[in-house]
Amino acid sequence: MSLSRSPSPVPGGGWSSPGLNISTSGRSSPTRGYSGANGTPVMWESARQKRAGDSGYPSFSTQNKGFFTRHMRRLSSSLPRFNAGSFYPDEKKDKPSTGSWSGPNVPLLGRLRGIMARMGRKMKIRLMILLLFILSIILFYSTPLVYYWRRTSWLGGGEKFVIILAANVGGGVMEWKGAREWAIERDSVRNKKKYVGTWGYDLEIVDMSTKKRYAHEWRESWEKVDFIRSSLRKYPKAEWIWWLDLNTFIMEPNYSLQDHIFSNLEKHVYRDINEYNPLNITHPISDPFLDAESRSPVGDGNPNSINLILSQDCSGFNLGSFFVRRSPWIDRLLDVWWDPVAYEQKHMEWEHKEQDALEQLYTTQPWIRKHTAFLPQRMINSFPTGACSENGNDTRIHYDKKDRDFLVNMAGCEWGRDCWGEMYSFRELSYYLNRNPWERFKEDLVAVIWYKLTGRKVKL
Amino acid sequence: MHFAYPPRKSSNPPPYLRAAKLPGLRRSRLKIIAAAGFAFLVLIYLLTRPTRHAPYKSYAPTGNPPAVIVSVFDEMKYDKAYLDLIKDNRIQYAAKHGMLCYETFFPKVGDYDIKGAPTSWTNVVAVRHALTKFPDCKFVWFLDQNAFIMNPDLTIEEHVMKPARLEGLMIKDYPVVPPDSIIKTFSHLKGQDVDFVVTQDKDGMSASSYVVRNGDWARFFLETWFDPLYRSYNFQRAETHALEHIVQWHPTVLARLALVPQKTLNTYSRASKGVEYQDGDFVVVFNGCTSTQECDADAHRYVYRWQSAFKST
Repeated sequence: MSLSRSPSPVPGGGWSSPGLNISTSGRSSPTRGYSGANGTPVMWESARQKRAGDSGYPSFSTQNKGFFTRHMRRLSSSLPRFNAGSFYPDEKKDKPSTGSWSGPNVPLLGRLRGIMARMGRKMKIRLMILLLFILSIILFYSTPLVYYWRRTSWLGGGEKFVIILAANVGGGVMEWKGAREWAIERDSVRNKKKYVGTWGYDLEIVDMSTKKRYAHEWRESWEKVDFIRSSLRKYPKAEWIWWLDLNTFIMEPNYSLQDHIFSNLEKHVYRDINEYNPLNITHPISDPFLDAESRSPVGDGNPNSINLILSQDCSGFNLGSFFVRRSPWIDRLLDVWWDPVAYEQKHMEWEHKEQDALEQLYTTQPWIRKHTAFLPQRMINSFPTGACSENGNDTRIHYDKKDRDFLVNMAGCEWGRDCWGEMYSFRELSYYLNRNPWERFKEDLVAVIWYKLTGRKVKL
Repeated sequence: MHFAYPPRKSSNPPPYLRAAKLPGLRRSRLKIIAAAGFAFLVLIYLLTRPTRHAPYKSYAPTGNPPAVIVSVFDEMKYDKAYLDLIKDNRIQYAAKHGMLCYETFFPKVGDYDIKGAPTSWTNVVAVRHALTKFPDCKFVWFLDQNAFIMNPDLTIEEHVMKPARLEGLMIKDYPVVPPDSIIKTFSHLKGQDVDFVVTQDKDGMSASSYVVRNGDWARFFLETWFDPLYRSYNFQRAETHALEHIVQWHPTVLARLALVPQKTLNTYSRASKGVEYQDGDFVVVFNGCTSTQECDADAHRYVYRWQSAFKST
């Protein structure tokens, strides 16, 4: 018998060679050779070993063939199980269910244990890492750790900032303070303490009533100078000192000074006073004997040369809220700020004392101008509508809650306005604006819906 | 249906190796890729951080010229011949010194608007102008118009401003305004911290010859000294009394000031007011002369001496 091609290998491992194995039926299709049969075809060694293992089964595997057969175990193990235990309630009592057979009646812990038991090792490690991560975040924010992080100079940098709060203005032994004055002072101090505690700054509360000491020297209201000097000595790591009057309120305690101003100092400040110049100071100084830097409107342009940052209100410089940087320059300024010769000639004109003296220095001294910068007033020193109100509301000056101004300075409230009333309303407004999400949910959604439904207002 | 045991692995090897979809994405490579991605994000963070500006540093003068001699000439009050003689003295001295010649700077009274203050205030603003004109000079030496430099061998850097020399010269813990000011010069001052060298005569501080070190402090000091409120105050001796005032009231000035003996750079032609000039001294100031005649007479007592001294060296 001639074949047009060589025969295919027989699945059983044999070699069907029609010439050797002549069956009577004359079939040439691959057949399985049966053991023990007489006409056993030639068996390869490998085939024989294989046959020895699974006796009687066909050698081409039926396992691992389809999707279901391959994934059966994984699928079935992830299916919800309905425990047979529910059918035998008696049995459950003496035999608490193990994790692998937990059903809906099993307590949560047991079920969790079941999930854990069924979970792969790698998955467990991943979950563990995730849990650790979340836990460490929670730990970080709920312990003093965050405070020390924000305070450390090479991390958050909070200890580079000191806030000086002028307390006891017009107080002391001679002028008794009433309940309102005490309340103002308490609220103002608490507000700053909280702010300082959040961001890791230092707070120095200074007692302005010591001004009596200077009375014979005509120096009232220059105590600022001495307090700044002593604070620079007391906090050797401080770089910036922020002076705040008592009648101020930090409306947004979640603004850090770094984010709000100092990380991007050159973007926020302006050094060319012509941008907003209520005093009409000629700028820059044009004397021919001065160098280019002194005659430049912006000094040397490097924000690191700024040593004094203040804001201007409707009538000029405002020293209710200003920053000074530790530098040789500030020592010189604090030194020449009060000068008896200047004071003797000008004290009749200097209604605002040290503020006017600074304006005078800024006007006449090029070395002061070079290192002074201004912030738009509402960055650090918004006024309530009562202050600077001669020309109505001014968007450069007055507080606007839509813009979430940083700080309110109730400047001049002691002259015929209600200091405590303003302080109280701004305090409440600040709390209102800075409610947490849960309070917002309760008050802005639940209470409103409740009001729509029942017509009654509720306090949640 | 559950199998009690997992199905066995097929012993049939796959007919051919399946090619991975991305041949590069091995497990080990994935780690490298993740690390690179992380590094890239860090880089982006670093690049987009607010830029750090260089910390503030005042301009450091290179020392060319090492010193500038400033004298203010009053051409309205004094003869030209007399003033030319003085100028010649300064220029010859300046030309004698070193590889880098001293510069001289001679503004005139009336060059600056001093708002009606006494004309001697021009001296202060002239020194400030010298700092602008010669930003690279190390020192500015102000010398009064009515004075001669007598000893060409002495220089400002070596004779006056060298820290070791200055520490020896300084008069420490001494009332800045004699006889009995409670403000006294600092007793722990180092030579290199001195920015202003000045002398005292019998009346008090003398502003006829002083040295200022170029720098931020000098600008602060001179601009403060020139303050319009001092100019308008009618100090009896104008800028000299203003200087006494600043030194006594402002410790940042006093902390940089060294009081040196008059003999160092400010000897007088008349002994009535201070230390009298002797041969070999640096400078002679014709103190007390107020007109060309008086000053010219004084000048002629010294002119041959400095001219011969300059020629011999």
